[in-house]
Amino acid sequence: MANYHPSDELLMQFTAGQKHDALGVLVACHLESCSECRKRTQVFEQLGGELLDASKEVKFSNGFLDSLLNKLKDAPPKEVESSGDIRLPRPLRRFIPGYFDTLPWSGISRNIKEFTLPFSDERYTAKFYKIAAGKELPIHTHKGNEFTLVLSGQFSDEAGDYKEGDFILADTDTLHQPKASKDADCICFAVMDAPLKFTGFFGRMLNPFLR
Amino acid sequence: MSSQNSNTLRPLDDLIIRIANNQDQQAFIELFEQIGAKLKAYAIRCGALDGEAEDIVQECMLTVWRKAHQFNPKTASATTWLYTIVRNKRIDMARKTKYDVVLSDDLWPEPEGEDLETDVARDLEGKIARTLLHGLPEEQRQIVYKVYFEGKSHSEIANELDLPLGTIKSRLRLAMKKLDTLAQEQMTWLIIILLTNF
Repeated sequence: MANYHPSDELLMQFTAGQKHDALGVLVACHLESCSECRKRTQVFEQLGGELLDASKEVKFSNGFLDSLLNKLKDAPPKEVESSGDIRLPRPLRRFIPGYFDTLPWSGISRNIKEFTLPFSDERYTAKFYKIAAGKELPIHTHKGNEFTLVLSGQFSDEAGDYKEGDFILADTDTLHQPKASKDADCICFAVMDAPLKFTGFFGRMLNPFLR
Repeated sequence: MSSQNSNTLRPLDDLIIRIANNQDQQAFIELFEQIGAKLKAYAIRCGALDGEAEDIVQECMLTVWRKAHQFNPKTASATTWLYTIVRNKRIDMARKTKYDVVLSDDLWPEPEGEDLETDVARDLEGKIARTLLHGLPEEQRQIVYKVYFEGKSHSEIANELDLPLGTIKSRLRLAMKKLDTLAQEQMTWLIIILLTNF
């Protein structure tokens, strides 16, 4: 069971259907493994049902119902076959060409690899990060928000220890140096609305490569 | 369930079940007459134009026709189920005009198995609906509307209402607390009702 969770604001926005982007995928992955947050979204779904029920009615154009009834006989559209590795959270499967060990990782350094996810957009950049067992990222802060979900392994920073399923928000006030636990590589799914900003001397040298 | 207990939601449940069991076109028409205009209003409030909203409703109703068997009155009320359908269709229809790649099926994959623990919770919640929204004070409800229909974040709402961010956050926090209490109260009542009925 995860110890770190998305805020109620984010869960409500997600349930309202207003986060159908990289951040939504991240929330959906957390929900898959967190029954506590799923329960919270059920309350928000019920609230959505009530909003629907309380909506003022808007009339239809002439012939709408007849044309709808005519379509009932049409064959249903083909369902998108769910493909992808079953070890991945389901919201990610359609987008990932294999499992972690076969992904085309690119190296930031020997100990830190990244893989850019295909659903990044103008607002959010979505990546997997892999921190080698026992290694740490250079100390850094953020120009904006960074939402992280631990997919595999564990990492820790000054503020806590995070394991599989944990959902962590770092913002411009967070200055941290995540370190993977000794026993396994740590793979995280991160969604950022601005690039990381490394602060130490070596870290500053890394900055240009992370844009 | 006795007819005394039934509120305006029960007929919707029955109609969906009749569609699931018998492909009942009359039930489908009745369901459309009860909920269609509200689905359209919802889509319009979320920003769809009139024609787009009708497309969304058409896709919703076709989904209801094809997936009525997935409706489980033990896990969600009819309006909650219909809400999730219109929410998802709105996302997928909006997507066609942009280059978004995330589908509602990615965000809400169809359940793989029954989640018993939450099933029980949903059963209880589903039987008394339409109280959460009305239990919120107007200033909190206004924020909920902006989140659901306009996709606004706290800071955007603060700007729009010309209120400090802290005020918005504390109002939403109060709303959450209230929702939690209401949800729990409903459950308490339902447990009492269930215990006295059986």
